[in-house]
Amino acid sequence: MRWAAAAAVILAAALLQSAWGPRLDIVGAFPNLVLLVVVAGAWTLGPRAGMAWACAGGLLLDLLAGGPLGPHVLALLPGVYAIGLLGRGRQQPHVLLVAAAAAVVTLLYSAVLVLPHPAPAGVAIRLAVAAALYNSVLAPFVFAPVRRMVLGTITRRAQA
Amino acid sequence: MIAAHETSVVAVSKRTGQVLAAGADARRMLVRAAADVVLMPTVRVGRPLTVGPHPRPQPVLAQPKRQSTSGGLFVLLCAAMAALSILSQQSWASGAVDAARSALAPAEGALASAGDQVNRTTSMFGDVSALRAENQRLRAADEQLRSQVLALSQAAKENDALRQALDFERASGFHTRPAQVVGRGPDAFSRTMVVDRGTADGVKAGMVVVTGAGLLGRIDHAGPYASTVRTLADSSSPVAVVVVNANLQGTVVGGGDRLRLDVPNPSAIAVTKGDWVLTSDAGRTYPPGLVVGEVTEITRGAGSTTDHSDVAWVNDPARVTFVLVITDFTPS
Repeated sequence: MRWAAAAAVILAAALLQSAWGPRLDIVGAFPNLVLLVVVAGAWTLGPRAGMAWACAGGLLLDLLAGGPLGPHVLALLPGVYAIGLLGRGRQQPHVLLVAAAAAVVTLLYSAVLVLPHPAPAGVAIRLAVAAALYNSVLAPFVFAPVRRMVLGTITRRAQA
Repeated sequence: MIAAHETSVVAVSKRTGQVLAAGADARRMLVRAAADVVLMPTVRVGRPLTVGPHPRPQPVLAQPKRQSTSGGLFVLLCAAMAALSILSQQSWASGAVDAARSALAPAEGALASAGDQVNRTTSMFGDVSALRAENQRLRAADEQLRSQVLALSQAAKENDALRQALDFERASGFHTRPAQVVGRGPDAFSRTMVVDRGTADGVKAGMVVVTGAGLLGRIDHAGPYASTVRTLADSSSPVAVVVVNANLQGTVVGGGDRLRLDVPNPSAIAVTKGDWVLTSDAGRTYPPGLVVGEVTEITRGAGSTTDHSDVAWVNDPARVTFVLVITDFTPS
């Protein structure tokens, strides 16, 4: 049930990301809902589950992007792994910490993802920074419901 | 017995069997605390939980004894994904990848169309406000254009009047002085108008006033800078005229809102509708050949020797704005 709920959330995030993300474009960057969901999952459940979420979300993004399978997972994994380690043992992270975490993961994600796409450095940096700011603003709004859902699932499982 | 307010789980020490926390606190402790903490339901299938070293509680979710960094898994996954990136580009893998993409396509399409709908809805609200602003802008532009059209129309009328005046001066050979109508008689009886030329401009009482269309009247009183024109519509301004086609002499007299033509008719020749009426040189009160109007209605009394006709005046005093004062014609 816990994995099914996680899969459903990641699938919904990927589909929303693909269908609506580009519509919310600001200076060329748009929010990455999958990244935010995966960061929230990794923070709450630790690096192992976070990496599993990253694999699922990244593969879905790869499928929706139309390129080879794997680059989005590779782009998500470093940041998610780091966040999983960082978040372990921190129960109620401050909203600024969540925003900063989302920004850092986005920068790592962009850095990896830009490698197979040779773009001018200025453009790449501008897009990466804009996406990091965008995601950091949205992160608290995604983090809280995902974390609540994860903890609720754990509690229900314990009660069963 | 434990009564938990928020939830029915407790955090229990595996080592001592001691209950450490209940409810939400227990959940927090599970993630935060040491490895010997387990999360336990307080009630399972209606039976209360027995806590203590014997029997040993069965944990439902336990912290790992040692917190692994999962570094190996991370490296393994990275390697696997790098390999997947290469393999998924092979031709033999394209079928599976395409199938997976096809499976996602309907949901993606549905969400995209929902997004389109939302966009349309939101853009509709945006359009309404934009259209409102555009409407206001267009309304202002329309008013500005209307006033411009009005000004141009007025200028065109003046231009037309000036052209007619110029033509008149050229055709008649009289010297004229242009004047602007600045006022009209205040009542229906004295059919007069005031022009902005007076004795200072060489305008004198008795001078004939015309427009490009034809005869208008005569200067009744000349002040230094303005003069009063008594128009043909005034009943005290009879004009000797000639009916062009019939070549009959007669008199046009104003009366209210129309001109009346009286023609003695001793012969069988009669005035007909559509005949033009011009000033004649009889009496030399007006220059001959000035257009007065066109016969519209003819009334002939039984046994009467005079035909009475209505004449449509070529000038409409209510609309005349520009006149010419003939300065070199002296009535005898």
